[in-house]
Amino acid sequence: MTARTVWEDLLSAALIGTDRRPSPGADGEPAAALLSAAAAEEVRRRAGRRPRRGEPLPPAAPEERPLVPEAAITRLTAVLGGDRVRLLPEWLAAAAGRERRLPPYLLPALLDHGVRDRSIREHLGVLAGRRGRWLAGLNPAWAYLAEAPGGGDGGAGERMWEFGSRGDRVRHLRELRETDPGAARDLLASAWDRETPGDRAAFLDVLRSGLSPADEPFLEAALDDRRREVRHRAADLLTMLPGSRLARRMAARAARCLGRDGDGFAVNPPSACDPPMERDGIRAAAPGGSGRRGWWLQQVIARTPLGFWPGHLGLTAEEITAAELGDWSREVRVGWERAAVLQHDAAWARALFAREPLADLLAVLPAEERAVRAAEVVRGHAVDGQLIMLLGGVPGPWGPPLAKAVLNTIVETLAVQPWNVGELARMAAERVDPALAGLVADLSDDAVVQNVAETLRFRDEMLKELQ
Amino acid sequence: MRQVIEDSTAAGRDGAGGRDASARRAEQREQRVSTGLLELERWLTDQIRQGIAGTKAAGHAHWDDVARRLVDAQAPGVAGAVARLGATLSGEDWPGRLLGEYGLLYLLTAAYRGRAGLPADLVRTVRSRIGFPVTREEVLAGAGVRDVWDVLGLRDEEQDRLIARRVWLRGRRTGRSALVLSFAPPGRPLDATLATGTAVDADLAFYAGAVPLRALVAARHAAPYAFTGPPPGTGPAAALGEVAAALAGDPWLESWPLVLSGVVPTRDGGADVRDGGADAGEAGWMLADASGEGLALHPGAGAPWTLVATSGGAPVTVAAEWTPWGLVPLTTWDEDGRTVVV
Repeated sequence: MTARTVWEDLLSAALIGTDRRPSPGADGEPAAALLSAAAAEEVRRRAGRRPRRGEPLPPAAPEERPLVPEAAITRLTAVLGGDRVRLLPEWLAAAAGRERRLPPYLLPALLDHGVRDRSIREHLGVLAGRRGRWLAGLNPAWAYLAEAPGGGDGGAGERMWEFGSRGDRVRHLRELRETDPGAARDLLASAWDRETPGDRAAFLDVLRSGLSPADEPFLEAALDDRRREVRHRAADLLTMLPGSRLARRMAARAARCLGRDGDGFAVNPPSACDPPMERDGIRAAAPGGSGRRGWWLQQVIARTPLGFWPGHLGLTAEEITAAELGDWSREVRVGWERAAVLQHDAAWARALFAREPLADLLAVLPAEERAVRAAEVVRGHAVDGQLIMLLGGVPGPWGPPLAKAVLNTIVETLAVQPWNVGELARMAAERVDPALAGLVADLSDDAVVQNVAETLRFRDEMLKELQ
Repeated sequence: MRQVIEDSTAAGRDGAGGRDASARRAEQREQRVSTGLLELERWLTDQIRQGIAGTKAAGHAHWDDVARRLVDAQAPGVAGAVARLGATLSGEDWPGRLLGEYGLLYLLTAAYRGRAGLPADLVRTVRSRIGFPVTREEVLAGAGVRDVWDVLGLRDEEQDRLIARRVWLRGRRTGRSALVLSFAPPGRPLDATLATGTAVDADLAFYAGAVPLRALVAARHAAPYAFTGPPPGTGPAAALGEVAAALAGDPWLESWPLVLSGVVPTRDGGADVRDGGADAGEAGWMLADASGEGLALHPGAGAPWTLVATSGGAPVTVAAEWTPWGLVPLTTWDEDGRTVVV
């Protein structure tokens, strides 16, 4: 009898019960004999286990980049363990800028962070190295890494375009676009119909840099794409080209929606969203709670070249944004705000920001101006959600003017509403230029301020380690 | 069956004057245990007579009364083993696992009943599995084993409302394996004097038994230092031999430290060489040698991503805890010789 049948006989007798089916060949009390035999079999099975056969993994390719320095690894381990974990993105950005690579054993934890936080994926693309790409290929949750640019293998261009991952191909296209915008567009157009919808959408974004009227015919054709995401991105780009056919069509619609009426204004939102409007990127279905006509009006204005308005209304951007527009003023204002962001128009963004300090508008302004404008708002503004949102739009490192404004606000608020400074203090700790740690420490003995200074010192050491 | 946390204050506190009282208490305990185990034996045979097919439907509560009566009978080791029987019900193969556990429990009761005819060390193993206490003093009174002990890894788990820290050691010269246990209430810091990846020159005092494994640090001769690079290990076949030898001495053994060298974490092919097939999980992982053969990881341990990342498909050394249900990986060493807790 083989071992398998011994065990199976014991098991079937045990399931049914020895009262009904006595175990074969047992001496003594049947149940006791069965248990004795089962014990022997169980120990035999445990002790006699044989090796199993596995499916080997293809080995990862050797790395080319150097590891990040040892001290930086130690600090990263502490950060991952919960010591100022909010500094993780800054650590990763700084390390990625140095073209280094992470030790493999830390990759799973970091790739898990990348699942939750999209903002660090690009840095991980650089830092994970070949081992990271190999690892991400084994776990579907980490598949995003294959799309992150910055693998850094620097393979041959044409081959990369033919066979690379989406991330590799985007990178190749971006590099080509910088040196020869027309060649990049032609390369993209050459196999456009064979690309997947996801790839088409990702590639269109590359055309944002170096955008010129020469791209217009290609983008106009993309308005008829099967995938809505692709159509919308094409429309976004065409909006940035004031001479495009789409821009002219949109300006004609805008002219019907908003014009002068004597000294005042006449606002007349579209009464329908017809197929040509939809083709130009206007979404017919309004988000919950908003009226459809206002929603269409807002979108038409957002996609109309901002340069159209001064001529059409006979006013400057400052005068236009200050104008009182009656019932539809909210929709028109939001339309202009979206237009300023979409078209990267600093003059309009500045004018609109003066009326409503939005983080998105700030992002359109040159970096130094951002900090200056933000500092102006911080002075004389209560600490509330809007202020936090606004500052969220000002990337670090914050220089002295903004740092001073924010820390003064923290110190003032500590005196009256100490419960209200938490998020502002965390932000200051993360974004103020770490070189200002000493100045911050001298501001106040309050633990909140001292904590900010402490984190600034931590960041200072952290960034030095990565040099 | 896990060794039980002994109550080191119960015995040994009485001075010479209390010797009679303590002997009487010991006699009483022996009597209670004996009665409790006889009752367990009758219960087990009763289960087998009636058949175990309906056990899963009865659920975890099925064993509660039995476990409670064993606690009252001062046999906490067996009581714990009975209380954990519910865990066998989770898999497809629950009847096989349950029968295996019933068999091992029966073996323990039979061994206790027939202890007069067993070697002294095996009797100690049986008594420790049942839950008879052994005091620190008794353990420390035995001869210490001096060696440089590599701390292979550790694992914390909740046990009887305490966090138990299980630290695995291996002696450089003797090649002996050791397990040092420490306990703390949840939220309190655990003993951190034995850190993974360090080596310590120390005397270990082993708890006596057929396969001495659990030990106390009796004396340290030098401060621990971090060692670099992996400790020496064996291939999967030799490791299985090591486990078989240990099981031959202590059939109730449920964990044993292994150091596997030259192994690659790979997906389990599902090619099940053993009978039973309890853990033929399709999505499982294993540690395979160059020929592609190896040992399955514990399905409950999850995907070993840190280990996979460190290996990158190349052979590594892995310190792992063997259990009857698969390996629990503890530690590996990366290409720079850095100790990596997995």
